[in-house]
Amino acid sequence: MQPIIVDKIQKSFGNTRAVDDVSFVVNGGEIFGLLGPNGAGKTTAIRIILDIFKPDKGSVTILGGPMSEAKKNRIGYLPEERGLYQEMPLDRCLIYLAGLKGLSIAESKSRLTRYLDRFDLSPHRTKKVKELSKGMQQKAQLIATLIHEPDVIIIDEPFSALDPVNTQMVKDILAEERHKGKAVIMCTHQMHQVEELCDRLVLIDHGRAMLYGTLAEVRQMYATQDILINATAPLPQKIKGVDHVEEINTHTKLVLIPGFSAQSVLNELVNKRVPIEHFEIAVPSLDEIFIRVVTEGVEKV
Amino acid sequence: MTKTWRVFWQEYKHHVIRKRFFLIALSIPLMLLVVMAIAILGVFMTQDKRPVGIIDQAGYLKIQQLPVREEYSPEPALILSYYQNEEAAADALKRREIQAYYLLPLDFIETSKGKLVYIKTWNTNMGYQFDRLLRMNMVESMPADIAYRLMEGDEFTITNLDQSREMSEKAWGNLVVPIAAGLLIMVIIITAGGYLLQALVEEKENRTIEIIVTSVSPNQLMIGKILGDIAVGLTQLIIWSGFLIIGYLLARGSVDWIAQIRLSKEYLILLTLVVIPTFITIAALMAAIGSITTEMREAQQISGYFTLPLMAPYWFSYVLMTSPNGPLAVLLSFFPLTAPVTLIMRSGFTQIPPWQLVINIIELFLLAGLSLWLAGKAFRAGMLNYGKRLSLKEVFAKGKAVG
Repeated sequence: MQPIIVDKIQKSFGNTRAVDDVSFVVNGGEIFGLLGPNGAGKTTAIRIILDIFKPDKGSVTILGGPMSEAKKNRIGYLPEERGLYQEMPLDRCLIYLAGLKGLSIAESKSRLTRYLDRFDLSPHRTKKVKELSKGMQQKAQLIATLIHEPDVIIIDEPFSALDPVNTQMVKDILAEERHKGKAVIMCTHQMHQVEELCDRLVLIDHGRAMLYGTLAEVRQMYATQDILINATAPLPQKIKGVDHVEEINTHTKLVLIPGFSAQSVLNELVNKRVPIEHFEIAVPSLDEIFIRVVTEGVEKV
Repeated sequence: MTKTWRVFWQEYKHHVIRKRFFLIALSIPLMLLVVMAIAILGVFMTQDKRPVGIIDQAGYLKIQQLPVREEYSPEPALILSYYQNEEAAADALKRREIQAYYLLPLDFIETSKGKLVYIKTWNTNMGYQFDRLLRMNMVESMPADIAYRLMEGDEFTITNLDQSREMSEKAWGNLVVPIAAGLLIMVIIITAGGYLLQALVEEKENRTIEIIVTSVSPNQLMIGKILGDIAVGLTQLIIWSGFLIIGYLLARGSVDWIAQIRLSKEYLILLTLVVIPTFITIAALMAAIGSITTEMREAQQISGYFTLPLMAPYWFSYVLMTSPNGPLAVLLSFFPLTAPVTLIMRSGFTQIPPWQLVINIIELFLLAGLSLWLAGKAFRAGMLNYGKRLSLKEVFAKGKAVG
């Protein structure tokens, strides 16, 4: 069973179409990236999945059917704009939120102790939330998202306000959740985090899904005929199949003539006895793909 | 049910189990006590307590001092100093040993004419007490029952035609009850509603609401919050009523008008029937406002539109007291937001026709139901838009579009 199936959802506010015919599926045991620039429609899509909004058209199947009150206990949500009771002691706040997810007080307390230890928040458990640093509040919010051990985890910008040590800890936790078979949707602008963590992704812009697939598939869609090399001797003036050469930091980029393959260029370089230390097909980074999709606006779904 | 209960308990704890609540709950009765104590002390300190001189040339005063008062009064009791002649009394007055002196001349019994002498000012209350002493002496030789009647006067009981309601002329404390009860209950309802409003706006401001709605249904949230709000109000009502009951028990032995206060069973039932729907209405309306507004100040301004009419009947207190079944009183009873205070006051002053009571109370319960429905709509619509205030039209339009 696929935990989340989003099927052609559409939602408008007044004359603005926030989400337009978006479809995707999230599998158990994967981290799914929901990407897009600010105002692209990501938050609206998440709110439709969470049944905060009803779609104008289309449907969402979550954990095998429409959203129900019982299913809310199986979903963990970390919204982009964090929300905790500022005047409340940390432990009381988290026990209350865990209680709303169906955990008993005793179970909430027991799990909370474990999570507070893991997130290094035990010494702060009786402090008021407002007395905690931004990073600590972020970790507390993550505890609220995970404490009831949900089957579906939806997290919006999980790494904001975290230092490198805590960022790594959260990455480890997300990887653990994936390993346990949970479906994780992660919204973020940090493309290197997506490249590191996500198995598949959808990129939304102006409410429409522009890219959808595995990381490799998406990269393949935007792959070029370019080669990155490092040579210890100067390159020949003319290389068969190479249109022109660009110097990029430590690498040299060879832009190929259409119809020529990277393999034929490699053969040419070897034949000409060019000493090569590094040879790589130039695959575009997710950052580059993101910028190209958003600026060019070409759908590849 | 568990989640509703948790929302309820959280709402209750958030407002009640904190210093601020108890400070407010205790400060008002304590402040009243302090104000009363200062007033009594003020009267006591500023009243002239010195004796009053008396030259009884007529030998009229067989009873020479008033009996010790059983009822508490901040006014000092009259103490008479007897003098043989006016010169001695005048000397004592000049030496400020006494504040004034009375002269009852030889022909006082025949003429009833005496003389009072003081310098610039004196405590006029002593005059009322001296007058009572004179009357006591006048009836002193009469049979005890006749003397009592002459001293205490008559008492008429005001009653309605079917004798179902009656009130003593002297039990004017019963007039205070409906005015005070209405005020007390409305202050509590509005204060508790204010807590709910504050909690909802805070949850929207700090974005906790987005987590909450992905955990509980809008109905569970609204019911939990409204019940929590009512429980907060009831706690405050119990604390304040406790103070009033203690005050009543302490004062009834010594203050006559307090001892005369009676609360009938019918009045208490009516209070309950009015207070329950009003509590729900105000809590639900506060929840609705909290759902569609974005800032506390804005929310408070809007809430004024219905808290003002709630208290408006107090502007017409005189009309309600003098004409409790008049057209204005009936009109205010039929308008649901002015009905609660109007009914509480009218039923203290008169017997409201039963058909009116039935319609008014049905109206109040209908308004409570309507307010709950509106709160649900407003909450759903409010969830659509953070940071944007919604109009009533949008509430109805967007309420349909949200889960």
